[in-house]
Amino acid sequence: MMVRAALSQRRAIGQGPVAGARYLPAVSVMLASLLNALPIVSSSGWYPDFGFLVLIAWRLLRSDAFPAWWAAPLGLFNDLVMGHPLGLSIAVWTAAMMLLDLADRRTMWRGYWLEWIFAALLLLANEAAEWRVAQVMGASLPFVVIVPPLLISILSFPVVAWFVSRLDRWRLGR
Amino acid sequence: MAPPGGPRPGWSRRAQYGLFFSFLLAVAGLVIGLVLLALSLVAPKSYASVRGVALDATAPVTSGLRAVTATVGGIFTGAGNYWDAAHQNAQLKRERELMLQRIIEAKAISQENSELKAALQLREHSRSTVASGRIVGSSFSSPRRYAIFSAGTADGVRVGMPVRSAQGLIGRVIDSGALSSRILLISDRASIVPARILRGGQPVISQGRGDGTVDLRPLEVGHNPFKRGDIVITSGTGGLYPPLIPIARVVRLDDDGAIARPLADPSSISFAMVEQPYEPAAVAEEAGSAADAQ
Repeated sequence: MMVRAALSQRRAIGQGPVAGARYLPAVSVMLASLLNALPIVSSSGWYPDFGFLVLIAWRLLRSDAFPAWWAAPLGLFNDLVMGHPLGLSIAVWTAAMMLLDLADRRTMWRGYWLEWIFAALLLLANEAAEWRVAQVMGASLPFVVIVPPLLISILSFPVVAWFVSRLDRWRLGR
Repeated sequence: MAPPGGPRPGWSRRAQYGLFFSFLLAVAGLVIGLVLLALSLVAPKSYASVRGVALDATAPVTSGLRAVTATVGGIFTGAGNYWDAAHQNAQLKRERELMLQRIIEAKAISQENSELKAALQLREHSRSTVASGRIVGSSFSSPRRYAIFSAGTADGVRVGMPVRSAQGLIGRVIDSGALSSRILLISDRASIVPARILRGGQPVISQGRGDGTVDLRPLEVGHNPFKRGDIVITSGTGGLYPPLIPIARVVRLDDDGAIARPLADPSSISFAMVEQPYEPAAVAEEAGSAADAQ
């Protein structure tokens, strides 16, 4: 597959990365966070955490999408848009980037299922952190309330990962 | 399996240092995040101004697009209204007749009520609306139940004010920017409303369940006073929410209380009103003592 892609010359001569390709992953994460400004009034919080999904999709796709520490300012932006207590996404997102750095060093090979499992574990950690912080803030919900949004996030990860891979190919002009 | 020696970008010192500093920055980011989180948990008011600015920055997008979604939604429900219109029309006419009778009865009762109150010399606060606006957004990807309201400090909205609509109680303001504010809905777990049952007047407590419904618990333990279809209204205890605002209708009973659905559904109400706290002095005193406790 790889070899054929390299042999066939589908790319127009002179076509390279788009302008600002370096910053496009970070910008796409911010745009995904901004989806939370959409005027959807829902009585249950079951929509996935778009910003976090796009962040881990980029990081699982390639390790050089953005430096790990960029997760901190991106998380701050997400906190402000989402109305989370300030620092929740900063901590969780940066920790996720560092855990995935560790996973890169520990795993010998990677495949579709392993990446999905990593994503599922990170999404679980994210939801659990949100649940715990809500508990500390006086909203002690039973733990099962995070199950439906967690399942929805896990099932929507492949879609987001596909979208991010298409975005990556476009950004690099392939 | 021992990990390989870590990511080495080749023999370039510059690239190696770059990786190392990126790692240090990530650790710093993590620490800063945890400290900020601890601060915002201990003293939730610390970042009020930053959060207000962020609210204002996203509010125009939210309010602008809300008009589009409302219009699209309106087209579908509007088309649905034409379906079976003749039958609906007859039913509405019957209901209107009934309502007219009820309104006359209610007017008579309210007149009698005001006469009785005057006789008892009850001091009552005049209820004043601070601002009115629309619910334009919500926290749809979080276990907390917040809504975005299209009026802010420029309209006189302050943190802590109760919000209601014509149908019933919605919640209270917890963040306010200049143009918009964030409301803690009554269906949020941290939202506790002193209430009573309309039928019988027994005092109860309403607490959100985080999924659009509220938990009702009687203050007196013993038997379960609820029945299906019971309406619960605010009692005015605590001084924040004005009394006699409808809150929710009981949909299911459980062993020592009931689960109820709020009468004001934030996703379908058109206008909401921000009001002054019922007893501003009591609320201010409570806020002051809470601040001292911290």
